[in-house]
Amino acid sequence: MLSGLVAKRLVTGLCQASWRPAITGMVSSRGYRGDAPDDNKFDLIEIPLPPWLEKPDEPINIKRRRLLYESRKRGMLENCILLSLFAKRYLNTMTESQLLQYDRLINEPSNDWDIYYWATEAHPTPEVYQGEVMDMLKEFTKNRNHEQRLDAPSLEYLEKESQ
Amino acid sequence: MASVRAASRLLSRRAISNIKAVPAAAVQNSRNFHFSIYGKKNNAKVSDDISTQYPVVDHEFDAVVVGAGGAGLRAAFGLSEAGFNTACVTKLFPTRSHTVAAQGGINAALGNMEDDDWRWHFYDTVKGSDWLGDQDAIHYMTEQAPAAVVELENFGMPFSRTEDGKIYQRAFGGQSLKYGKGGQAHRCCCVADRTGHSLLHTLYGRSLRYDTSYFVEYFALDLLMEDGQCKGVIALCMEDGSIHRFRSQNTVIATGGYGRTYFSCTSAHTSTGDGNAMVTRAGLPCQDLEFVQFHPTGIYGAGCLITEGCRGEGGILINSEGERFMERYAPNAKDLASRDVVSRSMTIEIREGRGVGPEKDHVYLQLHHLPPQQLAARLPGISETAMIFAGVDVTKEPIPVLPTVHYNMGGIPTNYKGQVIDYTDGKDKVVPGLYACGEAACASVHGANRLGANSLLDLVVFGRACALTIASEHKPGEKLSPLKPNAGEESVANMDKLRFASGSLRTSEIRLNMQKTMQNHAAVFRTGSVLKEGCDKMDDIYQTLDQIKTFDRGIVWNTDLVESLELQNLMLNAVQTIHSAEQRKESRGAHAREDFKVRVDEFDYSKPLQGQEKKPFDQHWRKHTLSYVDRKTGKVTLKYRPVIDTSLDEEDCAHVPPAIRSY
Repeated sequence: MLSGLVAKRLVTGLCQASWRPAITGMVSSRGYRGDAPDDNKFDLIEIPLPPWLEKPDEPINIKRRRLLYESRKRGMLENCILLSLFAKRYLNTMTESQLLQYDRLINEPSNDWDIYYWATEAHPTPEVYQGEVMDMLKEFTKNRNHEQRLDAPSLEYLEKESQ
Repeated sequence: MASVRAASRLLSRRAISNIKAVPAAAVQNSRNFHFSIYGKKNNAKVSDDISTQYPVVDHEFDAVVVGAGGAGLRAAFGLSEAGFNTACVTKLFPTRSHTVAAQGGINAALGNMEDDDWRWHFYDTVKGSDWLGDQDAIHYMTEQAPAAVVELENFGMPFSRTEDGKIYQRAFGGQSLKYGKGGQAHRCCCVADRTGHSLLHTLYGRSLRYDTSYFVEYFALDLLMEDGQCKGVIALCMEDGSIHRFRSQNTVIATGGYGRTYFSCTSAHTSTGDGNAMVTRAGLPCQDLEFVQFHPTGIYGAGCLITEGCRGEGGILINSEGERFMERYAPNAKDLASRDVVSRSMTIEIREGRGVGPEKDHVYLQLHHLPPQQLAARLPGISETAMIFAGVDVTKEPIPVLPTVHYNMGGIPTNYKGQVIDYTDGKDKVVPGLYACGEAACASVHGANRLGANSLLDLVVFGRACALTIASEHKPGEKLSPLKPNAGEESVANMDKLRFASGSLRTSEIRLNMQKTMQNHAAVFRTGSVLKEGCDKMDDIYQTLDQIKTFDRGIVWNTDLVESLELQNLMLNAVQTIHSAEQRKESRGAHAREDFKVRVDEFDYSKPLQGQEKKPFDQHWRKHTLSYVDRKTGKVTLKYRPVIDTSLDEEDCAHVPPAIRSY
């Protein structure tokens, strides 16, 4: 049992170096489109992309500005809407450690859909991304107040906040 | 304001002292490997020629690609592999390009599920384009398709396989066997449901091994044109606000579509038609912009896409009377008819009063008659999207849907080799130094309507074509033609003006006006009076750009500035789209007009050709629209160019003569 845990941590640790899918049962049966067999993810394993690196010397206000741009400009509409609304609510009040978690969450994964599946809890979140900010995002996604989420917000709220 | 000027002076001082290096801020950039110290033999010089407020860094490359989506990455990879010192300038990290949203697949006549022939795929695509596609480009694309898919597989894309180990292929709309007479074809290859992501990941990863230089989160402002030749690109580095001029003999534009001109579209907020606008500002035309594809099922309001696959799994569209209305419009294909047919049918139902909801302005997509296990296994993503953006539980209620802008068939006109062309004196003329591929280009393979799963194919085939054409006509290390020292000054001046703009209308207000006008006047169903009103409104809205107001005066990571630059680009696309639509007095493919319901070709193809007189060029509409915009006045000028009706090799693959299009 213990060695199983150690093995799992080893594997997840290995996966931190380059984005390789954790061998923790994250099989993609999500796929619609007919009877396509499962995804073996060989491209992710054989072609590792350069690792994401944090920017320790970036001033915190610059980090917030960068993360705002990176929240609003995503690969597909669902993430554009979700992350820009999330950024509107939380980005300007996040602590430094939260900003770092968020930076990693939105910049390290190579497939934008994964972030969406984790936020909607359709797939389990890999351990390396679990944490305070991921919990905030999951809760935000549930939309318990049934807010209308028809589009990404315009930037007016920033102007109002600075006044 | 004073502190900003002091900061930029500091920046320029720092930049000048590092003649060969990247500005200090970027040295600490964790993505160092993207810079490759500006390629193998670059001297990154810093010049004061444009403006002392904006430090300018000059780069020299053999080739520059703008955009890092499927087409841009394929072009960059092909060029690097051929030994060209290549730069790829992108406003997004490559794997975050909109290509990642593509979940369907790539069409190729591999013949793994049944006997197949690329000539049948050729026929399907020509018919799908409603005979507006250039048959030489379509020949090139469909013939190259099997080789392109095999090549991608060799690069490392893990296509899904059948039990025999062959690449699995599924059915997709509009694909048939034996020139339409042999039933549904299965030629769409996929990587589970993440074909787009896999394409990006594979190409990006491989291109890095060839030492491609990526300039990520650089916003391309304009082309550097001189004497009708393209000599490079000028871009803004968002990270530190510096200006970069990328000089090159070969520039490839792969910037994607412009869905964001409409209020409701399935595209990410990054689809802003930057390449089309750059080309327009250079005085060159855009082609067929009025052909905008509406995907039948986008979620009402948010616009998120509900895949065609839902209907493939048994989902049906119903109106306020609970009727499966597609049975009336397409008796054979029903809900799986071609996208333009389904969109038009839905719009007719709404206009005739059978829409649903409090304003009766959309229809329902019903899935709850399917077994819940099938929904969970085959369509789980749809359940989430429907709940989060429409508040609907798909096992109990139908999803509200509306035809939503999805793809732009039009774009920068190119020949089948990927070279950008202009049409002067009745002939196609190649613009030296400029190439385009992907959704930004119009080769034209999709003509008036695109078939599903042909878009990813378009990206790889023409991305590769651009690389091959450049490699065959140029050598690495070629001497660059001279460039004026202050080239790009106008672009920087425009950016500066926007950064300090203090008019009366916010960027978001002008954008909303544009989007609502386009949505109300140039959507699925178009009619003369409504289009004309829209043209006048759009012309007025174009003028309001002069009164724009921005609030963020910074230069580092200024999202407000970038969104305002994108708005300028969107506006150019929007005016060309609506004016082209207003002028085209026929219905063809995705362009449907209530007042001109039929296709107007040179012959009436619904009757035998014998005895018919061929209509002269200016009296029929089987021709490409070329649109130009005078940047200062916003006036749109239209010209027309003939469709190429011959294939590349008539003996190998005869062209398909026009006919009436029915499914």
